[in-house]
Amino acid sequence: MESNNTIWIIIRRMRIPFLVIIVTFSISILGMTLIPGMDDQGHPYKMTFFDAFYFVSYMASTIGFGEAPYTFTYPQRMWVSACIYLTVIGWFYGIGAIVALVQDKRLARELDIARFRKKIRELREPFTIVLGYNNITHQIIDWLNKEGIRVVVVDKDAEKVETLDLENFIPEVPSLAADVTHPETLKMAGIHKKNCQAIVALFEDDVKNTKIALLCKLLNKRVKLVIKSTTQTQSEHLHNLGVRYIEDPFDFVSNRIYLALTSPSLWLLEMWIFGHILRMRHREVLPKGKFIICGYGRMGHALERALKKAGIPYAYVDIKSTIYKEEKQSAVFGDGEDYQTLLDAGVKEAAAIIAATKDDLINLTILATARKINPEIYTIGRENTLDDLSIFKSARINRVYILERILAEFTYLFIARPLAYRFVRLLHSRDENWGRALVDRMHSTLGENPLHFEITIDEEHAYALSRELAAGRKIRLGALCRSRADRSRQLPLIVLLLQKNENELELLPDDEFPLKNGMKLLIAAIDESKNDFEYIVNNYYELEYVIGEE
Amino acid sequence: MNTEKVISGFFFILAMTINFGFVYGDPANLEYHSGYELFAAIVINLIATVLKLGDKTQLGSVLLATSLVADIQLIASATVWAFAVYVMQGMNLESTVAVVSLAAGAFIANIVSVTLFIGDTLKSKR
Repeated sequence: MESNNTIWIIIRRMRIPFLVIIVTFSISILGMTLIPGMDDQGHPYKMTFFDAFYFVSYMASTIGFGEAPYTFTYPQRMWVSACIYLTVIGWFYGIGAIVALVQDKRLARELDIARFRKKIRELREPFTIVLGYNNITHQIIDWLNKEGIRVVVVDKDAEKVETLDLENFIPEVPSLAADVTHPETLKMAGIHKKNCQAIVALFEDDVKNTKIALLCKLLNKRVKLVIKSTTQTQSEHLHNLGVRYIEDPFDFVSNRIYLALTSPSLWLLEMWIFGHILRMRHREVLPKGKFIICGYGRMGHALERALKKAGIPYAYVDIKSTIYKEEKQSAVFGDGEDYQTLLDAGVKEAAAIIAATKDDLINLTILATARKINPEIYTIGRENTLDDLSIFKSARINRVYILERILAEFTYLFIARPLAYRFVRLLHSRDENWGRALVDRMHSTLGENPLHFEITIDEEHAYALSRELAAGRKIRLGALCRSRADRSRQLPLIVLLLQKNENELELLPDDEFPLKNGMKLLIAAIDESKNDFEYIVNNYYELEYVIGEE
Repeated sequence: MNTEKVISGFFFILAMTINFGFVYGDPANLEYHSGYELFAAIVINLIATVLKLGDKTQLGSVLLATSLVADIQLIASATVWAFAVYVMQGMNLESTVAVVSLAAGAFIANIVSVTLFIGDTLKSKR
């Protein structure tokens, strides 16, 4: 407990003030009891200890009720004059020093840390440690909280932590201002705890992320890591460390564009998992034809890979936002020279243009300029921060990729909906026909706005079912998906994914699939059928009825 | 020689001896027990307590605990005295014995404290 030292140092520093108060008080009290006085009848008397203690207490603290119990004699007054200076100075010094120590910044920080530790100790639910507080993690915290997953936040910046405290998240989010690359900090945040599920590090700086990943791996092998990496080399480092889940926002966007170009149904399924409705809007259909990529950084490269893989012709305009701003002294794209650049790249005959620079304003103006030249062009913009959502919305851009939001969505899915996340990953290895068939099936049974949920077959989530299975009864998947009102009718739900154990997954399991305890299901349903299903697996009578004679 | 040890050792032992000085004598007879001695015992004990503050070792905590016990007993003893004199009808046998026996309890706490202190010193100097 290295950090507790400060408290001891501060207590130690309180010794002198305490001693000063004790010594000055005792000298004054002793003097008062020794010096003879005179009572109201003129008899000599000596103050008792209680009288002296009472008098000195209010004298020293400058309350001053007057001379008690009788008016003082001159020898007493002389002693009191000496005592006033002795005790008042001692009292002011002592109390002043103690108050200063109590207000000491280091002490306040120690108390903060102690409070944080206590909160972490008392966390009983599964929780996720989020390193760094910003727009992305704010969103993630919001979603995780709704899902009942507790979050712990550590950020180096004390001001950000204060902003977080003002947010009043419910349930409470314990937060601490500390250096996240320090192992002690991670330990304080509870990395060793059994219910610590995941650690999220999405810093701008890839090297910092890798460093954190290394630390976390060394401190706790079991914990899931969500680490952002936008460069090949860092990703390789992370792979070598055994980090299975690496978030590269450029890669996510590139994959999505590839999917949208080659297989709209799979794209639709992926978007549906993230909350899109299960229907493609007209303006979401990407046109076939030549693409122009503006900005040839990490994002541009990722897009190039996607277009190449999909076999789409493309051209790119190499605009670096920082260099552009330096040369032109403005962040607005679209003077004569820029016009020419776009014309040279072939905007007139291109089907779509992607503005992918690091600067939001440049992206907006690129798209506006392109639209002026070719009003029919399909515009795709990269939005870097979640702050100015409204500008992009009002600019009527056909499709906007908000990198921060995509990061937040994937992180949330990975932590809170592991099966849905794996489903999305599996989609990428399927083809359009498979996707089309699934979408059609979902449309016909569930309509255009189905929801998805995950359920684990165990006593907590499926009481009756898990008890029956434990008792050795054989129950197949199809037997459960029947209506509670009439078991000859099907319940409108589709089991998308079944996880047999950590490594074995069954995509779209058929009705004959035998269930076992510990399996997890990802189910597409509508509100009523979700409630019905949960009712069936938890309630013996319902379960008996739908299974029937089987 | 460690100055800090000399000073703290001095006060720990002085707290015990003065405490003993007050308790010594017929517990039913107040004439054997001087108020000044009780005052000195309280002051010295408070000083000893403050000197024990801020020691984060196991022993330091136990020493502080014994000192706090002694303080409470002595202050209780003085309070009983003042209460008996000013609020009740003066000192009687019961209050006299209470004053002395409370101080005697503090004395035992002080013995424990000094024993621990000496024990620790012997252990470390071996």
